Amino acid sequence: MKPLVHRNRHLFDVIAVLFSQTIKTRYRGSVLGVLWSAANPMLMAVVYAAIFSHQFARYYGSVLQYGVAVYIGLALIGFFLSSTTQATTSIVQAGGLLNKIRIPFEAFPISTVAAFGFQQVVGTVPVLVVLSLLNNHNVLHVILLVVPLAGLAMLTFGIALFLSAADVYFRDIPYVYDLATFMLFITTPVFYPAAFLQPTVLQVISFNPLFPIIESARRLVLSADLPDLSMFALSIGEGAAVLVLGYVAFRAMQPKFMDLV
Amino acid sequence: MIELREVCLVRRTREEYSDDLKARVLALASGRYRKPRSKAVLEDITLSIGAGEKVALIGANGAGKSTLLKLIAGILTPSTGTIAVSGRVAALIELGAGFDAELTVADNIIRYGVLLGLDRRTIETRVDGILRFAELEEYRRYPVRALSSGMLARLGFAIVTDTDADILLVDEALAVGDESFRTKSRARIDELWRAATTVVIVSHDLSVVRATCSRTIWVDKGQIAAAGKTADIIDRYLRSVDRAAIEALISAGVRDK
Repeated sequence: MKPLVHRNRHLFDVIAVLFSQTIKTRYRGSVLGVLWSAANPMLMAVVYAAIFSHQFARYYGSVLQYGVAVYIGLALIGFFLSSTTQATTSIVQAGGLLNKIRIPFEAFPISTVAAFGFQQVVGTVPVLVVLSLLNNHNVLHVILLVVPLAGLAMLTFGIALFLSAADVYFRDIPYVYDLATFMLFITTPVFYPAAFLQPTVLQVISFNPLFPIIESARRLVLSADLPDLSMFALSIGEGAAVLVLGYVAFRAMQPKFMDLV
Repeated sequence: MIELREVCLVRRTREEYSDDLKARVLALASGRYRKPRSKAVLEDITLSIGAGEKVALIGANGAGKSTLLKLIAGILTPSTGTIAVSGRVAALIELGAGFDAELTVADNIIRYGVLLGLDRRTIETRVDGILRFAELEEYRRYPVRALSSGMLARLGFAIVTDTDADILLVDEALAVGDESFRTKSRARIDELWRAATTVVIVSHDLSVVRATCSRTIWVDKGQIAAAGKTADIIDRYLRSVDRAAIEALISAGVRDK
């Protein structure tokens, strides 16, 4: 029991140190960096709205509503894609270190995702809260935002763990994942509405775990009605399933790491 | 207390290091996939080191001494066999491997200390002492990339030797820095030595081994060739090494890498 507690304490401390130091080097103590991360999807949303609103705005009621929907989609998928991409190489990059010091491997992908998560909590979440309040004047909607965000966090950690482990085995994973991220972006209703899709296509796309997460978040911000319970259940359920699978795969691949890094 | 029982370590050979997914899929599809070759680096190692013992590992380059040290440090896990280590381990393997060039010296002390297994609060209280010992107080807020390699070595040494280790694992080069720091680092090593710390060193410097370790283990081609009193083992080791090589070693001050 004692070694287990000690191991977890060490893991936690290592994650905390890597996390806080990543943030330190990334923002160099400036608030501007965090603001930029919130502004980035907004600027992109303006571009999408300018190009696509004549087709898609009617699904949302107005150009502004469409712009907000795109912003939510971009912010959430952006967090997922950038943190999983960066986490992919995190263990291989720490290889030199791992050969000299005994460090729990999972600290690297976890702290990478956590650092991006911090950026979201400081940059994106306040914007979502304000937008939701302006739209619905309902605190319940704001509180329920926790559900899709928790689903997204679990999904991201799960994929990050899996990819960082796979990268130890196959060094071209970043290139393969680069293609996968593009496909994921196109097959997620980010800048087009789900209702725009043909029913058969929609059926396939609804397997994408990002789909219920983004849809639930949008409803909570944009619509006075609460999202379906099934959307909520899928957000959390798929996120949790991916997290468990990712962690199990990570543990299964871990024994060979030191042979390969 | 360190206890290894019938430990074997099999590692993949280096040529398999640049594996990639596309090549693997192609190889599997065309039926040309071969299992990566692996090699036994250590075989049937059984040893036991008691608390407070000072033990040296000697042997030729590539014999597996450093690998054995990494097993004891928990960096590598054995393929078969068991390892039991009780107590906090500090490995002086390549000092400063844990530094981040962009972070300040103070942040790096915390980072390195935590990576080495200290809890965060403990290392935070030791930052001042470590800076003082490394003579880097005025560099506290400098990024580590601004330090010279000598300063880095001093900093690494100061951190690693301040981690309350019960077991000290040392791979080569004990003394770092300029002459005055060398004396100081030697003094700290002696202090750790006396503080009933268990010490395992890997060294080619047989005079150091003679002076500091009561017991010596001779590792040859991944196996324990002999173990026992330092003087006897060094004797046998030297006799086994060919005469000319000894002459060369002695004339080079018995120091190679």
